[in-house]
Amino acid sequence: MRISPGALLVVIAVLVPFVVEFRTALSWFGVELSVLESVALAGVLVLGLLVWAMWPQNGGEMGSADSN
Amino acid sequence: MAMRNAYVDQFPSEARLISAAFWSSFLALAIGGSLGLVQALHRTDYLRFIDSVDYYTVLTAHGVLLAITFTIFFLVGIFTWAVTTSLDRGLEDLRFSWAWYAMMVVGTVLVGVSILGGVVDSIDMQADVLFTFYAPLQAHPAFYVGLVLFVVGTWLAGADWFRTWWAWRGENPDERIPLPTFMTLTTTLFWYLCTLGVALSILVLLLPWSMGIVDSVNPLLSRTLFWYFGHAVVYFWLMPAYMMWYIMLPKLSGGKLFSDPLARVVFVLFLLLSTPTGIHHQYLDPGIAEGYKFIAMTNTMFLLLPSLLTAFTVVASMEHGARQRGGTGYLGWLKALPWRDPVFTGMALAGLMFAAAGFSGMINAGMNINYLVHNTWWIVGHFHLTVGTAVALTFMAAAYWFVPQVTGKQLWNRSLALGQVLLWFVGMTFMSNAMHRSGLFGMPRRTAEPQYQGFNFEPAAGTVGEINAQVALGAALLTIALALFLLNMVMTTIGGESDAIPDNTYAGTLSGPEDAPVVLDNLKLWTAIATVLVVFAYTLPLASIIDAGGLFGPGIEGFQLTIGIDPAIVLESVREVMP
Repeated sequence: MRISPGALLVVIAVLVPFVVEFRTALSWFGVELSVLESVALAGVLVLGLLVWAMWPQNGGEMGSADSN
Repeated sequence: MAMRNAYVDQFPSEARLISAAFWSSFLALAIGGSLGLVQALHRTDYLRFIDSVDYYTVLTAHGVLLAITFTIFFLVGIFTWAVTTSLDRGLEDLRFSWAWYAMMVVGTVLVGVSILGGVVDSIDMQADVLFTFYAPLQAHPAFYVGLVLFVVGTWLAGADWFRTWWAWRGENPDERIPLPTFMTLTTTLFWYLCTLGVALSILVLLLPWSMGIVDSVNPLLSRTLFWYFGHAVVYFWLMPAYMMWYIMLPKLSGGKLFSDPLARVVFVLFLLLSTPTGIHHQYLDPGIAEGYKFIAMTNTMFLLLPSLLTAFTVVASMEHGARQRGGTGYLGWLKALPWRDPVFTGMALAGLMFAAAGFSGMINAGMNINYLVHNTWWIVGHFHLTVGTAVALTFMAAAYWFVPQVTGKQLWNRSLALGQVLLWFVGMTFMSNAMHRSGLFGMPRRTAEPQYQGFNFEPAAGTVGEINAQVALGAALLTIALALFLLNMVMTTIGGESDAIPDNTYAGTLSGPEDAPVVLDNLKLWTAIATVLVVFAYTLPLASIIDAGGLFGPGIEGFQLTIGIDPAIVLESVREVMP
């Protein structure tokens, strides 16, 4: 993993205010996200974060013994 | 048995006192926090099982128990720890210490029972006056007596810390004041200064008025005296949180405090500026000239300086710690911080939330833009970030370190504690964001029925229904987090003794007290300057208020919310606004 599980949890928690505020900020530019769209956006971001965190740092050797 | 060096091993008697103070605090947190959920669900119309008239009883209990009782009981515990640990000596007389604690407990019970009387018929009292107890709302005398006892208890606690320091100074005349003690003493000094206002308000105006000794009060005078104390009390809660960020976060990060002198400067600035700012809560009060409000605004903006200094010093200390742990890069060092540790993570997230609170606080402090958000739910969102997160989350995270220290028992469940601080952070994000947003379109605070007939609020984004849902969701998450915290505390306390308690230490410094000018430790000088600033900020406004309305006001009689509402008065009020 690129970051520790504890740090990953914290990053996911910190993502929440960004998504919530992002919805308000977008509305200033005339882009209205529904609650479901916001939840979906958060889901995509969390998924992307998980993939990034789990992906081995050297790029192609996921699961190999020396991936740390 | 391994040699343990926890606080309870060094100061067993003081540890019992601190433990009692913590549990008094947790009890208030449990009751007050649960009532917060009742209000959130009632206001948002998700679940209503109280009358809207009783909402004010619940709101008063929520405000007083959390803003006064929870915070102050916890901080007297922290300050007692700070003084005894940093001076390496016990309190001078434990009987005196238990006496101030008992006085605070008696005060709390009186206040609590008088508030409870608002919903329990068999208690012939009421105190539906909210945390601010503004006249002409009038409480039972027991409420005011309880507040006085509680505050006097804190004064005696302050005297206890000073006595301990004086005794230490007698034996160490050439030593600098250790930083934790310095922080405690400067905070105590401005607490003395600011509570004089509320003591005057209660003893001279409100208590005699509630007992029928005087017929009337000057509402503006009592409000101004309240806010003379009411803004500084915010810093009384915040300073122990700052202390934790200064002396615990660097240690938990694996490093040292970046600068002891800078920390001293920050606490001196808070001593100077905490009190002469209260009028910024009264920008919309008629009867106070704009010039006085402008002075209060200027002082308030100066207060941003110590907060920004703190942000710099604490983050620099955390970076130093992270680099000691092998962290590298411009931002890569963040990954090396101990995020698995609930004490660290809770305090760090509380600090992050406080940055957001600082931004909304600047809006509150600006005279012109304040008019947009005054008395709206924005303000409630703001102080749930300050006292509700920066302070409460720091205290809960600190409890995960302190309760093992004062009991000798290991934290029951560290993973649960980590989940708890994260859940609090997420819950508060949802709730305070929605409160801030609803304030921007004018949704009022302090009401059980925020909706109006024939009028629709127009949110900038989303709908009122979504905002209500967000508040209810946030409040539910916060209540779950609160329950998890209390569960962890109870299970820790009833658990067995452990040898695996960390040593009772706090952070060392990269730049120590020897780098700080000696004048920083001159508490008499700073107190004198703080007093002069208060005189400048308040003499003319108070004189003008008394000159215009008299010391006891123009025949203002008490108004009690829940003891019978005369339909004639309601009709008269309606006629005034709808001729």
